[in-house]
Parts: sequence; structure tokens; C-alpha cells
Amino acid sequence: MLRAIKYCVLGLLLSLAACVEPYAPPVISSPARYLVVDGFINLNGVTVIRLSRSQSLAATTVSPFELKAMVSIKDDAGALYPLAERLPGTYSSQPLTLSPNRRYQLQVSTLTGRRYASDLVVAKVAPPIDSVTWSVDGQGVRLYVNTHDPANATRYYRWKAQETWQYNSAFRSDYEYVNGAMRPRIENIFTCWSTANSTSIMLGNTQKLSDDVVADAPLHLLPRNSYKLRVKYSLLVQQLAQTAEEYAYWEMLQKNTESLGTLFDPLPTQLTGNVHCLDDAGELVLGYVGATSVTQKRMFIDRSQLPLGTKYATGYEDCIYQDTIPLRLVNDVFRNPVNVPTYALLDGNFNPVFYLSSSPDCVDCRRRGTNVKPSFWP
Amino acid sequence: MKTLYRLVILIVCCTGSRLGWAQQAEPLISGSFQDLSVEQLAKQLEARSGYRIYFDSAAVRGVTVRAEAREQTVASVLRQALQPTALRFSMDADRHVFITKGTGLPLVLPAGFFETLASAPGADSAAVAGQPVPVAASPSQLYEIGRLSAAPASGRATLTGHVRSAKTGGPVAGATVYVDGPGGGVATDAQGYYALTLPVGPHVLNIRGIGIKNTRRRVLLLANGQLDVQMEENVVVLKEVVVEAEKTKNVTGMQIGVEKLDIKTMRQVPTAFGETDVMRVVLLLPGVKSVGEGSNGISVRGGGTDQNLILFNDATIYNPSHLFGFFSGFNPAILKSVELYKTGIPAKYGGRLSSVLDITTREGNKQKIAGAGGIGLLTSHLALEGPIVKDKTSFLVSGRTSYSDWLLGKLPSRTLRESSASFYDVNAQVNHTFDANNTLSVNGYVSRDRFRFGGDTTYAYQNRNGSVKWRRTFGSRLFGVLTGTYSRYDYQIESARNPVNASVLRFDIEQLGGQVDFSYFHSSAHTVDFGGSTLRYNMLPGSLQPRGDKSLVVEQTLAREQAQESALYLSDRWDVTARFSVYLGLRYSFYQALGPRDVYRYEEGRPRSPTTVLDTVRYGGGRTVATYHGPEYRASLKYALNDNSSVKAAYNRTRQYIHQLTNTASVSPTDTWKLSDAYVRPQVGDQVSVGYYRNFKANTIETSVETYYKVMQDFLDYRGGAKLLLNPHLETDVVSARGKAYGVEFSVRKTAGKVNGWLNYTYARTLAQVNPDNPAERINGGAYYPSNYDKPHEVNLAGNYRFSKRFSTSVNFNYSTGRPITLPLSKYYIDGTGRVYYSDRNAYRVPDYYRVDFSMNIEGNHRIKKLAHSSWTVAVYNLTGRSNPYSVYFKSVGGQIKGYQLSIFAQPIPTVTYNFKF
Repeated sequence: MLRAIKYCVLGLLLSLAACVEPYAPPVISSPARYLVVDGFINLNGVTVIRLSRSQSLAATTVSPFELKAMVSIKDDAGALYPLAERLPGTYSSQPLTLSPNRRYQLQVSTLTGRRYASDLVVAKVAPPIDSVTWSVDGQGVRLYVNTHDPANATRYYRWKAQETWQYNSAFRSDYEYVNGAMRPRIENIFTCWSTANSTSIMLGNTQKLSDDVVADAPLHLLPRNSYKLRVKYSLLVQQLAQTAEEYAYWEMLQKNTESLGTLFDPLPTQLTGNVHCLDDAGELVLGYVGATSVTQKRMFIDRSQLPLGTKYATGYEDCIYQDTIPLRLVNDVFRNPVNVPTYALLDGNFNPVFYLSSSPDCVDCRRRGTNVKPSFWP
Repeated sequence: MKTLYRLVILIVCCTGSRLGWAQQAEPLISGSFQDLSVEQLAKQLEARSGYRIYFDSAAVRGVTVRAEAREQTVASVLRQALQPTALRFSMDADRHVFITKGTGLPLVLPAGFFETLASAPGADSAAVAGQPVPVAASPSQLYEIGRLSAAPASGRATLTGHVRSAKTGGPVAGATVYVDGPGGGVATDAQGYYALTLPVGPHVLNIRGIGIKNTRRRVLLLANGQLDVQMEENVVVLKEVVVEAEKTKNVTGMQIGVEKLDIKTMRQVPTAFGETDVMRVVLLLPGVKSVGEGSNGISVRGGGTDQNLILFNDATIYNPSHLFGFFSGFNPAILKSVELYKTGIPAKYGGRLSSVLDITTREGNKQKIAGAGGIGLLTSHLALEGPIVKDKTSFLVSGRTSYSDWLLGKLPSRTLRESSASFYDVNAQVNHTFDANNTLSVNGYVSRDRFRFGGDTTYAYQNRNGSVKWRRTFGSRLFGVLTGTYSRYDYQIESARNPVNASVLRFDIEQLGGQVDFSYFHSSAHTVDFGGSTLRYNMLPGSLQPRGDKSLVVEQTLAREQAQESALYLSDRWDVTARFSVYLGLRYSFYQALGPRDVYRYEEGRPRSPTTVLDTVRYGGGRTVATYHGPEYRASLKYALNDNSSVKAAYNRTRQYIHQLTNTASVSPTDTWKLSDAYVRPQVGDQVSVGYYRNFKANTIETSVETYYKVMQDFLDYRGGAKLLLNPHLETDVVSARGKAYGVEFSVRKTAGKVNGWLNYTYARTLAQVNPDNPAERINGGAYYPSNYDKPHEVNLAGNYRFSKRFSTSVNFNYSTGRPITLPLSKYYIDGTGRVYYSDRNAYRVPDYYRVDFSMNIEGNHRIKKLAHSSWTVAVYNLTGRSNPYSVYFKSVGGQIKGYQLSIFAQPIPTVTYNFKF
């Protein structure tokens, strides 16, 4: 009896722990597909605008592109600068030099004939980046940006960052199996470069300061043992200037994106942007189109500059073993592309006796990047 | 007994008809009456004199009388015969004689006339000044009040007194004292005092109250005087009656929007863990809405969870819940009553916008040591009480604890084993009676919670409260209460899993208050209340400190905030006619935010944000940073259409100087408070309500309809992405919101019979609006939107069926519209990263809430003399096992954003509780 009571009580407590069910009201399952306008008007170069549609929360595919739209930049004097669809959904202008003294807007006309336009915005000029610096502390490598505007006119900044790093695959491959024969590999698939855009929204302002000086604004934090630091690391920082309104939009977007889910998160905000449908004022459009020039700066961190004795991750931690393939099995094994020869064990006459084999994921660095050395790489 | 009835009827007749003194010859009696019973004597005298003699045969049984008469009047014979006995007599002009026990039956006739009557001894007033006030214990005895010579010229006199329990000696508050007929009635105040102005003459006082046997006292009112009444306790514990007392109060009382619950009612409501839970019962009342299952946060008539003043023996309770809200913080064993004011808030109370929840504990037993307790699956409680000095001083100590910690340790799951959940609360109280006019009570309350989920974050919070209350009676018309209170609430959230991030977050608020309240019974038409109060706040808004040597957390402590809140009030209850009464009150509150404090100044005309700070102004200690003050009007009126129905209306304004910061709709222990300051203005609320009340079937069925309209100004809402914890410039993240709420509440209650309970339906809306000048700060474009507490339809049923005195069942039914929620609607890509588009704030609703609970009460036998009275309660919470969403949240899982609904009680939860009392 006592035992029964005890289990009853335990069951009671357990029942408290697990009562989570999926929740998908109809409004979430089949949401409206709103037009999304992503990009900014570049005063000094190519303007790239991506048009897509919002999609269901549960969708796993990339969001659908908005194809064959007419997109153009218009200034407050009425001059039009058309954009052409270079990639599906991505519309690019010619390299332009637009006057910072005008106001600009983006006009979009979709294939179905609906017309959209962003609000006219003041053009902002981004001052040059003074430096991109870094420091090492207990948590890792911190990257900072420094800039200033002698005219005290910029005040609101947004930075975009692109990382590039050099890395090696787990095993060097000296041979390749081509057309039923083993031959020395010519192409380098051991050393590659990978590039990724930063996904976080990096913002800074100098509103509180008497001078428009940004000192050591934090951009990025790399873990101490990051595999990106193993050989050589580079960061390209692009600096954009913003109006106060655009800054507020990005600040809100940052808060909305970076907290999702728990009971203690701040209240989410409905955030749309500055693009409107001209045919139907009630139609929702997402995205904020600002106008700014872009300045950029690149920096490098070489492994030799970092503290000695750090054990870096490789990114190839799963690649531990290689198989030993005797000559008689070479054709059977290497005919299958999941096996890639790495190197050979030679006899006294330098003739191969065994080949070692691994998987393409462990051997071919191109699976994670490119073996073409970027032009900026020293 | 029949004789007695005849007698009473006769008195009433006599009183009504002013008879003259008969001038005919007085018959004279001669003879010897030896060892006769009163009956025999009466018969003989009647035969010889033509007098009619009335007596209560039970009162005279066994009494033998003797008399020798020679040409004597009947009065003289009787005086001689009854002199040695306890019997007394009186007679009237129509030759009616009344023999009674103790004192002679006064026959009420015009003043002055009475003196000529040959009155029996003992008819002198006992309630003369300087003599002890009689304690009226007997319902059949007639008590004479006041001295005849002091008879007022107006023909009306005021009867005051104290109603106390015969068993415990404690005061009986809220008992109704009323007379049959048009005289009206009053309720005893919190100290058991009452005052009633009536026409001079005989009256039957009916006294009804909670936990006492309804009774009556016969009085003869000659002049102003005092009558204390001792009431017998109702020994049938847990009698299945929902609301037993104040049967006509809902119609005849002044109150509108007031709900009063006694512990018996609360015991019958089934709860999740078998323990009587004040807050959960309150949630079943019309106009009160839960903010989430398993949460003790309540929203009253559309107000926020911070707009309820929760008083526990007069001290403010900041967190009334245990274990994230699964239990309420009050030990059921010591509770006396709970009063909830939704509107018509008396001028005495202030400081919160929506409601006052006044929880009082009973006094300890002044006669003997007694105890009560309960053993449940997760918690147990025990209370012990008794006299320190008999009839003068009593104590009441109670404690409650959970042993869920021990149970969690036994669980197979590692996460649960590393979890812990424990709480306790302790209450101690001493009551002392100095003399008839002075009593003192001292209360202390401590509650503590500590819980941890999966060995990561430990939440702990404490309430510490104390109050001292001195009650004094100045004469028969003026009562005064001096109260001192102390409240402290604090919490610590400790995160220890990752030594690098190990930290502890603290918050505390302290409140020290003094209050003086007077009640002046000016006349039967006017009862004047006045007084004043002051409160001092001292608050730590937040502090984050590293924990351990490895922690890299940067210490951050916000400056403490201080403020003083004071108020004066005056109110008058005026019974204009027997049917029409008004209550007029004015409270004037005054608030100062005090230094030391650093206040940021912001650019004019731009939204406040860290980027628009111009400079910082430093205020020294004690200097006033900001001042707010204003009147709070309280008015209500009642018009009785007839004996069974009335119409009432009320208007009240309330001001609130302290705000809760919560970024979720449920009360969680991470909520902090904010004192009004230079930027955060006090909240102001105005409410108008009208109600119609009607009773049926001899007041056993009460029905009411109440409707209200409420406007709230300057309550806090948050900008999108607001940071509420550890924010040194909170004013940049909060916005002032306006709110309006309106609704209608229908209620039917059956208070007696085998089947009893109540059924409510509420239709209520509560809307908020944030519409500042700057369009970017507007929420939902500046339009009204449903607030977090907007649940338009709600139905509550609490029913009991009593099979026998020892076995009864109860059932609860609860339905409400789901609460509003802001939903993520779709996702899109900006700058290469997935983003979420959210709906307008609170544009959607979670699924409707629906729950049925059931409980059975089995009592032990009802022998009065036994070691302990015990009862078993078997209850099932959420009988149908419906998964009511506690919270809905969204998580990014593998690139998909998925919605989840968390239900706390998704299965029927059976519990067994054993309660005992000795």
C-alpha cells in the first residue's frame, strides 16, 4: 500500500514535467506571403536588392524569390536608375555615383503589376574606417572597429562583416583514381579558403558623445580555439551610415531576431519597414531601404600573432582513421567515389604496396570552401 | 413556551397602544398561600382578583412560593411571594401580570409613566455608567439598556457593543446585528463592534455571523447604552453551507462589488494539491481572472496583476504565491476571512488601482489550547493556539512546509533529481486585551521559496511581514485603530552551471508604514470614518554579482530608490432614509520620490533613449526628486426597491504610485517593481459601476447583475524589445499606456440547502492604448488593443452537494476565452538571416480554457468530546484532463520555427488530504 502511494506521488510529479505539445494555429500554418525588400541604395557602387516572399514558420525551403520584377532607384529630382535581375530574385544596378545631397527611394513593380515604393530617404555618407583591431582575452579573440567623422554628421553606423579563413583538410591526398587508374594528384585539395557573412546585426552610434568617434566598437568574438584561427584569418568590415530612423529599425530587428521563445524574453514588436504598396495601402511589405555609401577595411590575423600553445580545433575532428587498401583491392575500393586515396606505402623500390583511403569529406577541402586563393590573400 | 409567545406578542401590542391607567377599584386579597407552585398561586390570584397572570412555565418549574395576605393588593402579595425567589413580576394597567426570571419584564410605556408603576426590584438599568457592561449570553432574557432618567427627548437611542465568541473570546467581525421591523441593521466592524440607533422601546436584536450560531437578544432600549453579546460557536465544523452569514447583506448592505469569503467556503473548493487555496477560490469569483494556470496572479476587472493590494493582517504582500504560483502563500488553518473589493473601495484603502484583497487571520483561542492541521501529498500544515493569560492574551502559531524536495530526490530522471522545490511559511500572532477598551495584536509572517530546475538556475524569494495593531474604544461612539506595518519582499536568482557565467541577481523592496483609523458613530444616520496613513518605500531595483572566482560577470548594481506615500481620508455613511443610503468618501494621497538619486535628463521633443541623454542631475539624500498628489473620490449609493431587491451604484478613483515590471503576462518571481519617479507617472483609475441585487426564497438565493466601466491612465507598457532587468534608464523602455475596461457580471448564489454554490457569467473587455506623439513608439499604430488580461467570456460554477452531515461533494467548472497573444506569423530573410514577422500586439488568442474539478469531503463523527476532529478530502483537479495552455512559445528547431504549448496540469490530478483539529 505504501509503495503504491509512493508511485502515485511520483507519477504526479512526473506528470508536471512533461506536457508540451506542438502549437500551430491556422494563422501560422498558412500565412500571407508578404513581399520582402532586402538591400540598400549604394551611393557609390552597385546597388543590390533581393526580393523575396515571407513564408510559413515551418517551411524548410529557402524563401521564394520574387522573379521578373521591375526595380529602379529614383531620386527626388525624378531621375531613374534601373536595376536588372542578374540572379533569380537579385536585382543589381550598374556601378553608380549618386549625389549625397539628394533623397532617394526604391521603386518595385512586380510581374503581377503591383507597384511598391520605399519612402524617400536622406542619403548618408559613410566615413572611412580608421582601423579594425583585435585583442585576446579569456573568452577568445575580440574584433573591434574604429572610425570617426570629422564632420560629426554620421552618428549612426551599421557594419557588415565577411570572414575568410584559410584551412587544411584532415589528410593530404597525393593520388587520384581516374578512369580506372591511380595517378599523382595535381590539383590542390588540401588547402582552401572559406568565406562567410556575419549573421548578426552590428550597430553603433555616437549620439551620446560630443564628437562623432567610434572607438573599439565590438564586432565579433571568436572562441579562443576557433578552427578559423588555425592558419590565417581575415575579416572584411563594411561600414554603412544610417539615419536615426533606419538605425531604430535595425535595432528593433536585432531585438526581434535574437530573442525568441522563452518565457522571459522581451515582448516582440511588429516591425515592417519603410516600403509600401502603392496599389493597396493595407498590404504589408517588409524591409527598410536606406541610402548610404559604403566604406570598407580588411584585416588579417595570422596564427603566429596569437598566443602560443593554443590547441585549435580543426573542424575535422571526426576524421581519425584511414583504411589500408592492398593493391589487389584498389580497383574495387576506389571505383566507388566515397573512397579517396591519400598516400601510398612504398616498398624498397618506391613502388606502392598499400594505398591509404579516406572519405571525400576528410580529404577534399573544396567541400567546405574553395581552393582558389582569394585575390586579397597575401 | 406557548405562554412565552403569547407574552411577546402581547408586549408588542402593549407598546403600540398607549394605554391609560385604569381607575377602577383595586381588588384586595386576603389569605394564606403556603408552598404553592407558581402555577397554583397564579390560578388562585386570578380567581380572586380578575388579574391575568402570564409566565413561562419552564422558568417557574420547581419554584415554590408562600405568602400571607390581609387585604393586600395583588402586587403586594406577589412581591411577598416572589421576594425569596429569582422570579420577578411586573404588571400593566389592564391587570396583566408578567412573571419572569431574573429581572422584571418592563412594560414599555411613555417615559415618566413608568415610575409610577409598582415595579419589581431588579428592573434598574444595569448598563449605567461606571458599572460593568453586561455580557448578554442568553437569548431569552430581556436586557434593559440605559437609564430611564437619561431617556433622550428624540425618542431614539444608540445601542453600541461588542460581539465576541463565547468559546475563544475573540471578536466576531462582520456579523450582522439587526432588529425585526423597520429599524434596520448594521454589521460589526473588524473588532466586533457595532452601533445601532433605534427608537426607544423593546427590540429583538438578531445577530448572525460567520462561524457562530445565529441568535437573538431581547433588549429594552431606554437610553444610549452598551450591550456586549457573547456568541456560541457553531460546533458543526465544515458544515456544507457556502455562505452562511449575512443573508440579506447583498441586498441591504451598502457594498457594491465586494466579495466576502469565509474559510468554510474556501475549504469546499477543490484545488490542485488538495490544500485550501485562497487565491484559487478568489479566481472563481465574478470579475476575477487568472493570468495563467498554476499562477496566483489575478486580474480584477481588467486591471493588471500589480493593481491589487493584497493585505495580510494589514501588511502588504508582494508575492502571494509559492512554487511559481502553484500554492498560495497563506496557511488555510489560520485564515478567518477574505474580502475582495472590486469597486466601492472604502476610503481607508488606497495605493492600488483595481482591487483590495484583505486577508485576515483569526485570533488565537483565549480559553484553551487548540490545534489544527492537514497532511497532503506535497505539503502539510499545522497551527497551534491557546491562551497565554486566560481571557486576556492568546497566541496563534502556524507553519506550513512542502516535502517535494525529498520526493524529487527519489525520482529516476536525472534532471528532476537535480531539481529542487521547497517552501515554507510561518505565521505567529499574539492578541492581548488590556481592558474592555484596549486590545493589541502583533503579527509576524515569513514565507520562503527556493526552487531549481535541472541543476541550473536557483530561484529563491522571501516575504517578511509584520504588523502591530492597537484598537481603542473611546466611549461608545468612537473607535480607533493604530497600525504599524512592515513588509519586505526580495528574491535571488542564482545561476551556477557555467562557472564563467556564475552570477546572482537580486531584488528587494521594503515598506514601512503607519496608519491610524477612526470610526465615529455620530448617529444612526451617520457613521464617519477618518484617518491617515504613511508609507516609506526603499527598493533595490536590481543587482547582478559574480559568483565564484572563475566568474567573469561584471558586477552591476542599480541605485536604491526611496519614496514616501501618505494619505488622509474622511468618509461618511449616511442613511438618508431606511431605503436610501449613500457613502461619500475622499482620500487625498501624496507621493514623493526621494533621493539620493541620479536622474538623467533627455532632449526635449525626442523619444527618450540612451542616445538622447543630455546630462545627469544628482539629488542628495532626502531631497525630493518628484512629487505627485491628488484626490481619490469614493462614493456609493444604495436604494432598496423592497425587502428583496436593491439598486446600488458606485464611483471611485484610485491612484497607484508603484508599478510592477513584468515582461510576461504571468506573475513570475523575476518580476520587479518600479516606484514612480520623474518620468514614471502614477497610475490613475476611475471606475463607475451599477448593480441590481435581488434575493429569492427567503434570501437563500441571491442574484445580482453588476456592470462597470473603468478608465486607467499611465499604467506601464513596454516598448518593443524593452529591457526590464538591470536597466539604469528604465524610462527609455517603458511607455505610458491608457486602458479602458468594461463588463457585466451575472451571479447566482444558493446559500442554503443540500445543493448550494454559485454560478457566474462575466462578459468583460479590457483594452490598452499606447499612442505617444512619436509614431515609432506607438503600439499597434496607436489604436486600442486587447490587454493581456482580456478574456471576454468567463463562466464559473462552484457547486456542493451534501449527502449527509459527514459526506459531501463539490464540483468546480471553469471556462474562459483564451488570453491574447502576439504570434510570430511568418519568416523572411533580411541581410542573409532569417527574421520573424510578428502579428500586431495581442492580435490572437490561445485556445479557450476549460476545467472541471471534483472533490469529496468525508468527516469523522461529530461527537463533541473526542481527541481530534478529523476529515478526509479526496479531490481530482482537471477531471477531464484537458491540456489548457499555460504558455505558448516558439523555438527555432533545425531552421524551422515551431510553436509549442506548455500545459502544467494536462492530466487529472488526484489528491488526498487529511485534516484534523483538536
